Amino acid sequence: MNALLPLWSFWVRTSRQWPVLQTLTPFVPVVLLWQAVASWGAFPPAFFPAPMDVVRNFGTLMYKGILPEYLSDSVSRLVAGAAVGMALGIPLGLLIGLSRRAYVALWPVVLFFQAIGDIAWLPILIIWFGFGLTTMAFVIVYTVIFPVIFNTVLGVRSVKIELHRAAQSLGAPPWRILTEVVLPGALPNIVTGLRNGLGYGWRALIAAEMIVGTSGIGFMMFDARRAGSVTEIVLGMIVLGILWYIVDAWVLAPIERATGRRWGLTQ
Amino acid sequence: MKTLSLQNLSKTYYDLYEGSHHTALHDISLDIPAGEFVSVVGPSGCGKSTILNMVAGFIPHSGGEILVGGQPVKGPGRDRGVVFQSFALFPWKTVLDNVGFGPKMRGVPKAERDEIAREYLAMAGLSHAADRYPNELSGGMQQRVGVVRALANKPDVLLMDEPFASVDAQTRMTLQDELSRIWEERRPTVLFITHDVPEAVFLANRVVVLSKGHVLADVPVPIERPRVWDKLVEDDAFKELSNKVLALVRSA
Ligand SMILES: Nc1ncnc2c1ncn2[C@@H]1O[C@H](COP(=O)(O)OP(=O)(O)OP(=O)(O)O)[C@@H](O)[C@H]1O
Ligand SMILES: [Mg+2]
Repeated sequence: MNALLPLWSFWVRTSRQWPVLQTLTPFVPVVLLWQAVASWGAFPPAFFPAPMDVVRNFGTLMYKGILPEYLSDSVSRLVAGAAVGMALGIPLGLLIGLSRRAYVALWPVVLFFQAIGDIAWLPILIIWFGFGLTTMAFVIVYTVIFPVIFNTVLGVRSVKIELHRAAQSLGAPPWRILTEVVLPGALPNIVTGLRNGLGYGWRALIAAEMIVGTSGIGFMMFDARRAGSVTEIVLGMIVLGILWYIVDAWVLAPIERATGRRWGLTQ
Repeated sequence: MKTLSLQNLSKTYYDLYEGSHHTALHDISLDIPAGEFVSVVGPSGCGKSTILNMVAGFIPHSGGEILVGGQPVKGPGRDRGVVFQSFALFPWKTVLDNVGFGPKMRGVPKAERDEIAREYLAMAGLSHAADRYPNELSGGMQQRVGVVRALANKPDVLLMDEPFASVDAQTRMTLQDELSRIWEERRPTVLFITHDVPEAVFLANRVVVLSKGHVLADVPVPIERPRVWDKLVEDDAFKELSNKVLALVRSA
């Protein structure tokens, strides 16, 4: 036992210095298992590629420039969709959260449309807009907007009435209360909404790309199915996972923590 | 500083669930001359917070009038500074920006309002905490910021609803000493709500005892100033007056 202690402390020190190590280590057994199943030989390689096949395929697609192009297509769609979703969702959430009347008028409608999942819109969207960018844009904005609305409403409601009253007594007019009290008070929730919305949006985008896309990671995977390249499909799946991990763990989660924690609004 | 005058003030709440009216205050009349400190005490539910919320303009009154410097109150305004039991500091603003919030709303430029805020923070011994966020401060420090934030906006009347009820007993006495000192220096008009009788007597020129929505007694406090707890804990006149008010509250 004691002999392992220095080893353990070495691991703790290095993994603290290189947080990437902490992220990667859990995947070591996964990859080993994958390799083991592949070398067992029960499945033909065309059905069940080994890790190295995927890595080689990654090299080829990077070299040909296909992967970078599709990746940037998918990501820029996500970013544009998220921006529009926020631009519509945050004001709507503020309105519903602040105004009793807006709540009564809009809430049932919001719930109704939220219940019709993004993908359920595809049949009619394809008839209206055909296969292409408009349809995909609609789907991703539609997916992002609801979590943003719900969390913004929640955030607005979480601002204590005393803070509104304090601001009023200090002479703040209504629009300053919006910018100085309501928005910052709701910000941690808005970021949470964005984080959820992007998570759903990313998945919806890939699905939409498979069905109506002409480029992007989803398209690449579906196209690979036509060509019968399981390796490329698996590569697409891995890229999806890694990309989302980077966006969520390195970008969104730190923003969420930075807003809420500093102010003591979240633990 | 201005006078605060309540004339035949009443408040009836409508209970949505029971569908019935409930009269919380009947016919309250009270005059607070400019620069006077008045404490309001009374048993729980007698309507203390209701009075303060109406004077602050947070809730409408049902009858009578509220006059600040002769002008009727319509909604919240910066002529009436409020100190809350829950402190109500903006968690996303530093202490300095919390205190500078009132001047900011008046359009005072950044450099100038920072200077105002620093001056007031110094008054409460909080200069070192200017750049911290409220959640990094103890409850006692947060409420000092709450008081200073209200004062820095130079209100005509200061309204406080059990401001020291959520800090520990030691800190509460320190805060009472400090508030007493600040009042002596600046002489604001104060309406101070509390259920703590010694606190009410210690701070005020007059103690108003409330009972079931009406004024039961209005007791002057002729104890000389400056008042500090070190001197007053053992003071006979103070103890006698406190006991008298306590008896009134218990009979209420
Ligand atoms: N929003 C409201 N709706 C209905 N009734 C209310 C409302 N607010 C207060 N009341 C009632 O009015 C009465 C006075 O309440 P108030 O909060 O002013 O009492 P208080 O003296 O401040 O009590 P405490 O010492 O417990 O703070 C109580 O009977 C209370 O139930
Ligand atoms: Mg109360």
